[in-house]
Amino acid sequence: MKQIAIYGKGGIGKSSISSNLSVNLASEGFEVLLIGCDPKSDSTINLFGGRRIDTVLDLYKKDITDPDKLIFEGYNGVKGVEVGGPAAGVGCAGRGILVALKTLHKDYYLEKGFDIIIYDVPGDVVCGGFAGPAREGYADEIYIVTSGEYLSVYAANNIAKGLFNLKVKMGGIIGNMRGIPNEEEKIKSYSEEIGSQLINAVERNPKIYESEIEGKTVLEKYPDDPLNLKFKDIGNKIIKNKEAKVPNPTTDEKIRSIIGGLY
Amino acid sequence: MNILTPRPNPIVAALYTLRDLDVDVAVLHGPSGCGFRAARLLEEDGMKVVTTSMSEEDLIFGASDKLIEVLHEVDELFSPKTIGVVGSCVSMIIGENVKKAIIDSGLKDKAFFVEIHGCMGANTRGAIETLKAAMEFGLIDENEFKRQEKMLLLATEVESNNGMAKSKYTRPSRGTELKIVADHIVNLLKENKKIAVILNAKKETAYLFADIPLAINLASKKLGGSVINVGNLSTDVGLLRIKRYAEDIKNNFQSNCISIDYLSGGMDEYPIAGKNAIEYLKDKDFDLLVAVGIPQALPIINKESIAVTNGPREVHPLEDRGYKYVTVEIASHSTVMGTREIVLSELGEAIRNAAGIQ
Ligand SMILES: Nc1ncnc2c1ncn2[C@@H]1O[C@H](COP(=O)(O)OP(=O)(O)OP(=O)(O)O)[C@@H](O)[C@H]1O
Ligand code: SF4
Ligand SMILES: [Mg+2]
Repeated sequence: MKQIAIYGKGGIGKSSISSNLSVNLASEGFEVLLIGCDPKSDSTINLFGGRRIDTVLDLYKKDITDPDKLIFEGYNGVKGVEVGGPAAGVGCAGRGILVALKTLHKDYYLEKGFDIIIYDVPGDVVCGGFAGPAREGYADEIYIVTSGEYLSVYAANNIAKGLFNLKVKMGGIIGNMRGIPNEEEKIKSYSEEIGSQLINAVERNPKIYESEIEGKTVLEKYPDDPLNLKFKDIGNKIIKNKEAKVPNPTTDEKIRSIIGGLY
Repeated sequence: MNILTPRPNPIVAALYTLRDLDVDVAVLHGPSGCGFRAARLLEEDGMKVVTTSMSEEDLIFGASDKLIEVLHEVDELFSPKTIGVVGSCVSMIIGENVKKAIIDSGLKDKAFFVEIHGCMGANTRGAIETLKAAMEFGLIDENEFKRQEKMLLLATEVESNNGMAKSKYTRPSRGTELKIVADHIVNLLKENKKIAVILNAKKETAYLFADIPLAINLASKKLGGSVINVGNLSTDVGLLRIKRYAEDIKNNFQSNCISIDYLSGGMDEYPIAGKNAIEYLKDKDFDLLVAVGIPQALPIINKESIAVTNGPREVHPLEDRGYKYVTVEIASHSTVMGTREIVLSELGEAIRNAAGIQ
């Protein structure tokens, strides 16, 4: 079993990539568990036709902590969990993630025979709780989603700094492109700069948000679209990846020169 | 310097200050165990202390509704005139909007918020924040706030220069055995020597510490020698409650025919009253100084001296200041709560025994 966590700048496409990845891996026969760690609970929504599943923390409030009741089966047999959390502007979402992760325990996953567990983590790592999935006992390796835009790479580098500090291994970078010139090369050369690798890069494609409007992944709405092959490729590379290592974050100047130099 | 010795907490200081202000109920918005020892003592002193008992769930989702509910319950149960809501580490970390909860509870004319938690530095910070909130709420005026703030900052300075916040780690100690100290005092009186006693006590602890000058005076009446009595028992400054303490102790002295030679300041002025006391004694003739209460606030003098504290962790710092004997009144806080009279102290009892007084 492999456990991975997806980090990256807010809104960069972590949840879209996580859910599309999950259903495509499931279609190849893998047992997949997708754990949404965002208090807005939108990671798994496209596995359930737009329906919001009960969150771990909502159930926790009702004293329901049996893992069987926290996990829901979605499209293509992918299992989905939403951590949940407080309403915007109150409480402490970070604490929520830590408590929810404790409630869902690892031994249970092993027993259930998952091949891969994906933690989809919100935006930037703002406090200790958001780093929870990267701690020992949870994700084995981290993947960072970025476009070739400066602020996205900057955010990725900030996450790499966190991983460096926590001595957490990084499996690679997943590109999610915005359509700027030479974007894939930019992401690739940044990946190498920090001693990591580019797994693959997804192009900007309206099918992603068209599917999303119906609460679907691309695989469900457009089963034959070649975009699915991309997600399958990313998924397979992640499953086989043995190259994970602690990244060496770079400087701001270096990021500017990589991105600025490649026009 | 990062000091390793655990020391008083700003949350607890806030609770004590609410009591000083004669607030009827303190609501601690935090874990059920936070400040519970202080809460027990303060309840004996007449102030109700309740907690919102925040749980793991409350940490995640916030607990403003619970706070509102507790405010309503408290209002019904105790019909208080004033309620102080005190923050804690957990409610403040998660950014609870306490002011809004008070408004939403409909009790904003009774309740005010003390924005404090455990990680805000010296305990005196908790007292200052409470006084500031009380001023904004209209319980005290600005002059009183400024005066007390100055005292509290001086008290913090005393602790970090002369007290347990002076070094990285301070071992607790009981100091010299009480009997040795009592015998020494009594023997001097038998030899017709002159003893100066400075009562430099912090607020309610005076009910206990005052027993030591009381015992020394009684011993002197029986055995000889003489006593100069100095105390921070002025009733000119401070909150009503604190002035009442001073009044009580003076009455007690009076009924034992003991006169106070010099008033060194008010009961919340212990950080400066010690200095006044020493200034007064500068050209007086005496053989031994006995300083009780907060001896660490006294300047060092070139005379044989004994210090009596209530903090086991103040013993070593006081010994460093050159006191011949330092001894501890261990039970000080639990015995003085709710009292209006001087209570028996351990050293006072030892002196009475040594002097053969019943
Ligand atoms: N490759 C893409 N092509 C077109 N649209 C995309 C692509 N990737 C993501 N999107 C769209 O961008 C929006 C944001 O994506 P998503 O919610 O997956 O980001 P996120 O990183 O999970 O955000 P957050 O940090 O808020 O969790 C969505 O509406 C999604 O459909
Ligand atoms: S950590 Fe803070 S909130 Fe918790 S019990 Fe201690 S003082 Fe109270
Ligand atoms: Mg997301």
